[in-house]
Amino acid sequence: MTSGNEARLTRRFICTAAAAALWLWVSPARTETAPFDIQQLMSTLRQVKSATGHFVERKQLQVLDKALQTSGTLIYLAPDQIQKITISPKWERIAVRQNLITIEQGQEGNARAFSLSDRPEIGTFVESIRATLAGDLPTLMRFYTVTMEGDAADWRLLLVPKPRKLQDLVKDIRISGAGNGIRTVDTEEADGDRSVMSIVQEEIR
Amino acid sequence: MKRTRPVVLAAWIAALLACAAVIARTEISTDLSAFLPRSPSPAQQVLVDQVREGAVSRLILLGIEGAPADALAALSRNMAARLRLEPALSAVNNGEEAALDAEREFIWRNRYVLSPAVSPARFSEAGLRDALQRDQDLLTSGLAALVKRTLPSDPTGEMLTIIDEFAGEPPPHTRDDLWFAPDDSRALLMAQTRAAGFDIDGQEKALQRIGDAFRGAQQETPGAASARLLETGPGVFAVHTRATTQEDAERLSLIATVLIAGVLLSAYRSPLLLVLGFLPVLCGAVAGIAAVSLGFGFVHGITLGFGVTLMGESVDYAIYLFTQTAPTRPPAETLARIWPTLLLGAATSVAGFSAMLLSSFTGFAQLGLLSITGLIVALATTRWLLPALLPRGFTAVESRLFARVPLTVMRLAHRLRLPLLAAVLGAIALLCFHRGGFWQEEITSLSPIPVRDQQLDQRLRRDVGAPDVRYLVVVTAASEQEALEAGERLSGGLRAMVDEKVLAGFDAPDRYLPSEKTQRARKSALPDVETLRGRLPEALDGLGFRADLFAPFLADEAAARDAPPVQRASLPPRLSLKLGSLLFERHGDWIAALPLRGLADPPRVADRIGALNERGVMFVDLKAESDRLLQTYQREAVLLSLIGSLVIVVLLAIGLRSVTRVFFVIAPLAASVVLTLALLTAGGGKLSIFNLVGLLLIVAVGSNYCLFFERQKREDEQVERTLASLVLANLCTVIGFGVLSFSRIPVLHDIGVTVAIGAAFSLFFGAILNARGDAGAAKDLGRTRGNTAP
Repeated sequence: MTSGNEARLTRRFICTAAAAALWLWVSPARTETAPFDIQQLMSTLRQVKSATGHFVERKQLQVLDKALQTSGTLIYLAPDQIQKITISPKWERIAVRQNLITIEQGQEGNARAFSLSDRPEIGTFVESIRATLAGDLPTLMRFYTVTMEGDAADWRLLLVPKPRKLQDLVKDIRISGAGNGIRTVDTEEADGDRSVMSIVQEEIR
Repeated sequence: MKRTRPVVLAAWIAALLACAAVIARTEISTDLSAFLPRSPSPAQQVLVDQVREGAVSRLILLGIEGAPADALAALSRNMAARLRLEPALSAVNNGEEAALDAEREFIWRNRYVLSPAVSPARFSEAGLRDALQRDQDLLTSGLAALVKRTLPSDPTGEMLTIIDEFAGEPPPHTRDDLWFAPDDSRALLMAQTRAAGFDIDGQEKALQRIGDAFRGAQQETPGAASARLLETGPGVFAVHTRATTQEDAERLSLIATVLIAGVLLSAYRSPLLLVLGFLPVLCGAVAGIAAVSLGFGFVHGITLGFGVTLMGESVDYAIYLFTQTAPTRPPAETLARIWPTLLLGAATSVAGFSAMLLSSFTGFAQLGLLSITGLIVALATTRWLLPALLPRGFTAVESRLFARVPLTVMRLAHRLRLPLLAAVLGAIALLCFHRGGFWQEEITSLSPIPVRDQQLDQRLRRDVGAPDVRYLVVVTAASEQEALEAGERLSGGLRAMVDEKVLAGFDAPDRYLPSEKTQRARKSALPDVETLRGRLPEALDGLGFRADLFAPFLADEAAARDAPPVQRASLPPRLSLKLGSLLFERHGDWIAALPLRGLADPPRVADRIGALNERGVMFVDLKAESDRLLQTYQREAVLLSLIGSLVIVVLLAIGLRSVTRVFFVIAPLAASVVLTLALLTAGGGKLSIFNLVGLLLIVAVGSNYCLFFERQKREDEQVERTLASLVLANLCTVIGFGVLSFSRIPVLHDIGVTVAIGAAFSLFFGAILNARGDAGAAKDLGRTRGNTAP
């Protein structure tokens, strides 16, 4: 009898423990699913000191019959440096540092430099990636209306340009990611051209 | 004497009236160029002229700072909107789209004549195919945005070629579409006046309107109360300098007049003597100004300001006459007695000012002529007119007060000589150990524009991306077209150097306006539409472009073939301004200027340009030019000062006929010069050529006092009167030059400081070294007297 009682007690204990364990296990998960807002996303992204990733970009242009595909490497260094190095089909490096964008084509050092604020048509795309990676909400909000959906594990940012000059160029930019990494950047331009860039993160620090 | 009185008076009045008539028709100029360093080199002359007359002279740069960036932006927009309605301004730009669009539109419309890449080969099948292949590559690159929109109209990329040509000369930094300093601390605007740069009234009016617009905008903009307006540009300099010159000339001469009149009144206690004392000054000034007017065709405002010193000096002659005349003696007797000394003193002064007259610095020459004429006429007035005008039984109050200072100094002379010797030796030691050179090293130190204004100008110019050019190539030709063609040939050579990285970049007039010949050649390189249409399918084969994409290209190319040629008048304002500074006429010649950037090895570039074998070409290093120019001025100032000093010594030797006597006149002057020089350069101070000429003037002016000191040693009567007259005369001179040292104009300030200090020194040192034996019982002086008394 005693053993039956003991067994019952033991079963109850196990059930309680299991329930407690379940509760304990569930509860952090519950705090995670609590509203994940843009401030949190930005502060997560601000932790990133540097990031490297491989990208593939598909462009559908109005002037061309077929889509173009390029691929290469993205390198980010907090807080304001980013390099987009295209390897295929032709080598090119776009480097943004502070307000200066430098574009090198062909490896013989043929470089052009522009001021980001002066030539938005050239810098917008890279700049939006940089500001996002830097968690620099004020800069993003200066140029775009920013809305966010999703949670930490799968977030999506919608950037709609504010200045007229930018509206003439870009309809919107959609950036999606997980945690402190960006997965895709989808840009729809005002003239209907579209580019989708997928990024595979290699290293984030 | 009595019989000649009416004749003398009549002649004098007639001469004065004649001078007054000349002055009445004189142009008083405040044009900066008379006091800008005038260059011996034609290349620099080009630039000075350009600053004075060219399109650049009509440009006013404006900065607004001292408020949050958003308030500055609002101010900039508001102010620009007001200024665009202003008839005194022909163009206003603050970066807002409109102005830039006009430029882009102009280049776009004229791309087939402006692009240096246009050639028959470029529009052949192979050329087109290369271009299209390149376009496709660009579309995949980060520069896609540059070509995407223009591709259908401009597949050969002429617009991009032109933009590339301009690359490296970026437009100013923008914030919210407005020009800002790179750190966003200043909003920037450019205004072009309708009035020419040398029309100072017109410039002043434009500046007033700009100020009004700023204040109006400030009232309508919240948070802009603390904002400040900065202005710079040739017109601004001209207006400010004119105001400064006028203010200084008026204020300083008023102060000097009041002070000198006060001193004379306290000495004479007679209004009549005061008026008579100022008579030689007045005559001298009138004659001096008339002489400058006749000699140069105009009188500069700065010259009038310098007239203050003339007042201080020329009043001396009457002082000597009045103060040294004892109550019982007629003035004519006094004159006869002091005339040799007076004449010798005036001669040395004239010798000193002659050095300025011979200077290649126009401004200096005017100052010299004014002083020479003024002094001679003042002396003549004192000699031949004043005695006739003095009342019968004339007496001047004996001013023991003024004699007291030199008497005390002379009584203590034997104790002061050693300290003086020590001070001179100390000063010499100080000068020997002076570090880092004595000369001011920037030519800008000679300019009448205050250093602060010059710095502001450089800052705003850097902000708008128009930094000072150091190297440029200048080519002179007989006509506008020839100058343009020569410039184009040079552009070709320079472009090769850019490709070889010998040169980072350059600007050239043909960028904005190709020569007619080149325009014709480029147009004839364009095939007719049917030919072009026939070549396209082949060129497009295998590429991914849409088939009907290039219809706009065919249309634009056809239009370009029939378009009228680009002319100077058709350029939008900013480009026209730019062209104006690169291609202009001077004295019937046409000049094309090509500013260079980023020279790794300037001598090599100079050699390469020389090797282009282009006629009438000069490679100019402005820094080297201005350094050379400054050195030329410095050498000239040293040479003139030495010659001037030598002439003064020779004059003294002729007048005094005794080495010892010359020594006792020169020694105190030399001590004054050495000590003044030490004071000016103490603590690493630098000398301007104005300071140096001031040192010569110490000798020229100070010799008057030393001559009288030297003379009174051998006189037995009226010593006190002589000494009193010296103190009074010296005081007036020191006031004249001293007041000038408060001027904001470097030439006036530097000369004023130098001579005021030196003249005061020369009085004291003259007294110490020429003490009378009976006053101090100095043995050596007694011996000297015994040896040299005539």
